[in-house]
Amino acid sequence: MYYLSIKKEDWHRSLEKLLSSHDIFVPVKDELSLDYEPFRLNQADKIAYNVPKPATPLKNFFLPVRENVTGAVKNGRPRIIIGVPNCDVTALRLLDEIYLDEAFTDPFYSQRRKNTLIISSDCHSVNEHCHCTSYGVNPWPEEIADMGLISVGDCIVLRIITSRGAELAKEFPAADPVDDPSRIRLAEERQKETEAALAGQNKNLPDYRTTGEIVLKAGREIWQKYASKCVSCGACTTICPTCSCFILIDRPGFEKIKHTDACQYPGFERVAGGEDALFELDQRFRNRYMCKYVWRPQKFNALACTGCGRCIEACLGKINKNELFMEFV
Amino acid sequence: MAGTNNIYKPLRANLTEVIEESPLIKTFVLVPDEEFVFRTGQFIELSVDGVGEAPFTPSSSPLVTEKLEVTVMKTGYVTGIMHELKPGAVMGIRGPYGRGYPVAEFRGKEVLILGGGCGLAPIRSLLFTLEHMKDDLEKVILCYGSKTPADCIYKPLFNRLNSIDKFEAYRTVDITDDDWDGPVGVATKLLDSVRVNIDNSVAVVCGPPIMMKYGTLKLLEMGYHDDQIYLSMEKNMSCGLGKCGHCMMGEFFVCKDGPVFTYNEIKHNPEIWK
Repeated sequence: MYYLSIKKEDWHRSLEKLLSSHDIFVPVKDELSLDYEPFRLNQADKIAYNVPKPATPLKNFFLPVRENVTGAVKNGRPRIIIGVPNCDVTALRLLDEIYLDEAFTDPFYSQRRKNTLIISSDCHSVNEHCHCTSYGVNPWPEEIADMGLISVGDCIVLRIITSRGAELAKEFPAADPVDDPSRIRLAEERQKETEAALAGQNKNLPDYRTTGEIVLKAGREIWQKYASKCVSCGACTTICPTCSCFILIDRPGFEKIKHTDACQYPGFERVAGGEDALFELDQRFRNRYMCKYVWRPQKFNALACTGCGRCIEACLGKINKNELFMEFV
Repeated sequence: MAGTNNIYKPLRANLTEVIEESPLIKTFVLVPDEEFVFRTGQFIELSVDGVGEAPFTPSSSPLVTEKLEVTVMKTGYVTGIMHELKPGAVMGIRGPYGRGYPVAEFRGKEVLILGGGCGLAPIRSLLFTLEHMKDDLEKVILCYGSKTPADCIYKPLFNRLNSIDKFEAYRTVDITDDDWDGPVGVATKLLDSVRVNIDNSVAVVCGPPIMMKYGTLKLLEMGYHDDQIYLSMEKNMSCGLGKCGHCMMGEFFVCKDGPVFTYNEIKHNPEIWK
């Protein structure tokens, strides 16, 4: 891992040049939200730097809502996604375990992962429900992403993380090794500030392992209480960077359409004979928590919740999972 | 997976014969476009073109690779349409998926098999395998229950099994009819009269959920240890690849980690019988 620094105007020029060979997505903020948009010529001033959490989770770049999975895998143009927060980057660890599983590699996911470079970014501010550090995730990237990005005054400092990141760095010829250690120190101070802000707003929130214990022990009356405002809309799973369940729909010609699905929807586990282990709404509600904090951690070497807090923001019933955990800590 | 690098793409198979086993159960004889290799107890996703697919464990011998038989009970939407199919139809096969029966571990032992209803389909495949390796086995006992005598599938199988050295097969029915003179009651009742050396035995259970539960409890009561009982679990195995999430049973994807589990592997989860 090493650092490069490049003047913003040179950075923008290089990005514009890369448009001839790559699709580039950048976070853009408007009055309603922050989300990824395709980067276009002369729009560099719209890029939002070092702000947390675009509305769309990173998974959507790799797992489309709907796709024909019996057709050919298309190569497509290489992509660069800029400004991905580390909660979303960390979520790829679980998705990679599932979709790049050696026994059954998903060729579409695999192709998109190979085809995509990720320039993550240090978070220099905190949203109301951000709680990555509670689950051991830093609000800055040091792995999985190809680069990390820090906006410092009129410069962009790039943390080069992977060999693919180092290769991409060659496309920024004006970037120089950071010779002024104070720039790195400045970046590290910002990291500490963000960390402190997250610790402050989540001081009563249990860690990941303790959360698992709480979820495992919780009796049915607790799930019924919190699920009483759930309408099974599936917003929490749709917006979650690690939820990736799907359904296969058959089309003539033995085509299969893979469509996102959610354990929150009625009938998710129903079998042909009619049995349905998740028939009751509170059972479906509990299932999501058991999956995230008990079952997936038992099965995979990856977090199934990276503390992005989007499920809390998206919930139509204003259910805040963290209130549940803090009630029983 | 045979024939393709795309895990989602089915292999085509010609439906050459449809055998009526009982009023609700038919066996489909399929000849896939390519040789199809599976281990007994593994399952496939069988699809009706443009309609849907569902998981089934082949009921034929894994030693036969040019064709396979799948026994299907008419239960829901896809199986309803499957039952309308005639020879000549083209179906889709994905798989084989999951972990089958660890038959190598059955060597030198007595194998007690408890089956109910359509659960005899995977068991028939297992029986073919055990017959092939019978010199390495002490004994094979099948206890099978069906709702009525008419609901019993593979009826000639029982006489054939009883004619094979080391094999014993017993049948019971829940509801009798005029022609039935055998035992009446649930399949687990047959276990009361079998002679088995439990210390040197494994038990295999495959059938409807209620039988899986009470069959397991009965075997435990008889003295079987948790790791001597093999259960073939049934969930909504949709993708078969350990990805789609529909068949989660606790931390396990039944499709990939199962469908065969020892009771010891899953007993910590109180929800397995749901």
